[in-house]
Amino acid sequence: MVTIEIDGKSYQAQAGQKLIEVTEANGIDVPRFCYHKKLSIAASCRMCLVEVERAPKPMPACATPIMDGMKVFTRSTKALAAQKAVMEFLLINHPLDCPICDQGGECELQDIAVGYGNDTSNYQEAKRVVISKNLGPLIATEMTRCIHCTRCVRFSKEITGVPEMGDPGRGEHMKIGTYVEKNITSELSGNMIDICPVGALTSKPFRFSARAWEMQQHNTIAPHDSVGSNIAVHTRRNKVLRVVPRENEAINEVWISDRDRFSYEGLTANDRITSPMIKKDGTWKKVHWDTALAYAVDNLKQIDSKSVGALASPTATVEELFLLQKLMRGIGSNNIDHRLRQVDFSDQDQAPLFPYLGQAITDLENCEAALLIGSHLRKEQPILNHRLRKAGAKVAVFNPIDYEFNFPVAAKMVVAPNNWVSNLTGIAKALLGNGLIPTGMQKLLADSEVTEEQQAIAEALQTGEKRTVLLGNLATSHPQFATVRALAATIAKLSGARLGYLPEANNTTGAWLAGAVPHRKAGGEAVVEAGLDAYAMLSQNLKAYVLLGLEPELDSCTGSASCLEAADFVVSLTAYKTEAIENYADVILPISLFTETSGTYVNAEGLWQSFGGVVNPTGSTRPAWKVLRVLGNLFDIAEFDYVSSEQVRDEVQALVGDKKPSNTAGWQVPTCLENMASDGLQRITEMPIYSGDALVRRAEALQDTLDADVAGIHVNPTVAKQFNGSEQVQVNGASLPLVLDERVPDGCALIYAGQIAGTWHGNVEVS
Amino acid sequence: MNAIKNLFKSLFLLELIKGLRVTGRYLFDRKITVQYPDEKTPQSFRFRGRHAQRRYPNGEERCIACKLCEATCPAAAITIEVEQRDDGSRQTSRYEIDLTKCIFCGYCEESCPVDAIVETRVFEYCGENSNDLLMTKSDLLAFGDELEQQLNVDKLLDSPYR
Ligand code: SF4
Ligand code: SF4
Ligand code: SF4
Ligand code: FES
Repeated sequence: MVTIEIDGKSYQAQAGQKLIEVTEANGIDVPRFCYHKKLSIAASCRMCLVEVERAPKPMPACATPIMDGMKVFTRSTKALAAQKAVMEFLLINHPLDCPICDQGGECELQDIAVGYGNDTSNYQEAKRVVISKNLGPLIATEMTRCIHCTRCVRFSKEITGVPEMGDPGRGEHMKIGTYVEKNITSELSGNMIDICPVGALTSKPFRFSARAWEMQQHNTIAPHDSVGSNIAVHTRRNKVLRVVPRENEAINEVWISDRDRFSYEGLTANDRITSPMIKKDGTWKKVHWDTALAYAVDNLKQIDSKSVGALASPTATVEELFLLQKLMRGIGSNNIDHRLRQVDFSDQDQAPLFPYLGQAITDLENCEAALLIGSHLRKEQPILNHRLRKAGAKVAVFNPIDYEFNFPVAAKMVVAPNNWVSNLTGIAKALLGNGLIPTGMQKLLADSEVTEEQQAIAEALQTGEKRTVLLGNLATSHPQFATVRALAATIAKLSGARLGYLPEANNTTGAWLAGAVPHRKAGGEAVVEAGLDAYAMLSQNLKAYVLLGLEPELDSCTGSASCLEAADFVVSLTAYKTEAIENYADVILPISLFTETSGTYVNAEGLWQSFGGVVNPTGSTRPAWKVLRVLGNLFDIAEFDYVSSEQVRDEVQALVGDKKPSNTAGWQVPTCLENMASDGLQRITEMPIYSGDALVRRAEALQDTLDADVAGIHVNPTVAKQFNGSEQVQVNGASLPLVLDERVPDGCALIYAGQIAGTWHGNVEVS
Repeated sequence: MNAIKNLFKSLFLLELIKGLRVTGRYLFDRKITVQYPDEKTPQSFRFRGRHAQRRYPNGEERCIACKLCEATCPAAAITIEVEQRDDGSRQTSRYEIDLTKCIFCGYCEESCPVDAIVETRVFEYCGENSNDLLMTKSDLLAFGDELEQQLNVDKLLDSPYR
């Protein structure tokens, strides 16, 4: 600890801190542009000049380390004169754009100019004009307004890890932008809008829609990945206009992903349905809620409850999922599931209480070695990826596709899905002898071979003390998930690593806790006779289905809705009406989206975060928990008289109590370690980052990004040869463009989800 | 003593006479009554009457939808919606002034960075229902076109004081 004096008062501070950190911590205002607490120090704007005793010239507070006994004056004549002079220089080339600038009203330059600027300028010469760049569909630019603080350049280098922004040129000729004109590809790019202190980088979808002072801010939780980023929604006249991050060091720091930021566009999509509808004799008509609910219940009552299945989207809230499972169990069916993209459920009874990250989100930042199994982490969970990137750990990856990472990869294996088991076995074998694992497993491992690549991964994983093994989406949807899980647990055990799951959706975790699984009730208590899992429900024809917030043809790994079409009766609680839903559903109960309802999400580390609605429900939509509550009443299910979502949440919370998940205990020794047989071209399916749920699929700007450009069947050039250079091929009866993609291993074809009907795995027929 | 003084005052109607003296003086003074509507009082170039939206000489509307007038209006009489025009410029898609709310303070004119919204010298207008007094963007622009010459002169007269 050192003592320094600022403006005549003494303050205690940590040695090595920068002056600006001390003033910030003590609420002393020092104007600044280029300094940002999450970025490196550039000291380029000189706005933070302060007077330091015995220093001949004013010093930049952001770059001056403190020293014991230092005396600083932030508002002395000398300091103020320096700050005013800098302000005058900054305004020389700055346009008088405030009235048409989207930053107006929340602009750091505006604010500081009011405090430190002059009424008139001495500068009469021509101002510099810079042509704006096209950075893609998310960020609008107005580069004449840029003050060259280089925050965006440092952000893209240090935070996104892809140095896309640069500052070529010097002095007057310096021009911020991408080196060659191109779209920004980072999945965190929207944060540049926040960090740009001026209106040079602003949000394109939001462009001109409102002024900062007209909007109300409401706090809520992001509804996409399992991080549960804290966000603030800005609304005007009951309409959501934009989403910005809220600072929470334990979760999202100050960042949010583009998916969380721009998905709000889907709230007002054209196919949003606003009143209940029923289908009679093939035609849809709008009806009152009473009629629709009664119609749904009357018809469901006529069907044997064992042939009713409920499928829920894991983006629904804890309350909704709990009420849905209570409804299903109340009518005597355990057929409820949210695990739409899982195929292998054989070890579900051993699964942990919920797919737990195995550690706190902040712990990822401290880990020293990590193994990613089946995860395109950058696009699946951008914020977790950022944490891991920050850790600078030795990261080994085991993936079906050679994904690009924005951190150095220490060891890498690209393995076709059918060979996963033998290769993971090899890695486990390489680690054998490091720790104790069940003898059954030891025996199974004993007669496997270890290749060099497997050895390299094993070695990378043995770096440092803090290690972790993470299972991603591609592992969860692997047809041999149970074996993969057992092997991952073995690898984790042998390497002393924590095993963690990267749950796919924002409330996958909450769905487990709320009992939206066929084999467990809320709180994790096992049921006597497990119901059908999602895959079974969507592949054996049930008589009736209840759907909550999902479009199975796009959301589930069966990739089709044929079972629903064949069913006698389908109730869809949905916010959108698509052709497919019209086809298979009999009743549509329109529900509110996340900004219109109160609820709770549980994130990957098991943190419960509740939020309230920020705008009124659209049209006559209703929050799903209310709809389900009334359905429960109409079925005369006992104890279904909830009056608030908090009441439901408290009940679930009480059922969960203080149970903690244990990832390491939750697996069984597989009977054998055999690869899947495969002869033809194997399909690998990835859910594109901007297609994961109904809301984000309708966010227009995100759909225009490069990440959403996923059409086609991707094969590597060797495989492509067998198609004799044809550009369009027939896959399972649909015509897809053939895309050459070096990342795909031999014998495989990558087809992004949502393009063709049919399951996500197995062989594809290509002609 | 006081009581006697008051009695004296009221007995001789002194207060009344005092008052009538003022009346008398005005009776013979120069008259200032204006025979409206035949005659009109002179107006300042800063007169704050009914609003108009102005255009540039090339016909382009001045207003850039900065919303400062909306924000500054103490009666919340102005409603603006913005849109990006095809050429990328920022324009209002809706600009309404509710004259039944407006208190004619002139703050909107004061705040406008491009002299788009102005309060004209016109104060004689009426409507048969309150909707008639909701000035839409096209009303305001048309009114501005009509009065542009006068507005130009008024702005010029005002400019030395700005
Ligand atoms: S960046 Fe700030 S100071 Fe510059 S024009 Fe925009 S609002 Fe005004
Ligand atoms: S664009 Fe914004 S963040 Fe980037 S250098 Fe210019 S002012 Fe700074
Ligand atoms: S009238 Fe003037 S102040 Fe009002 S929005 Fe238009 S430009 Fe801005
Ligand atoms: S904030 Fe210190 S030089 Fe820019």
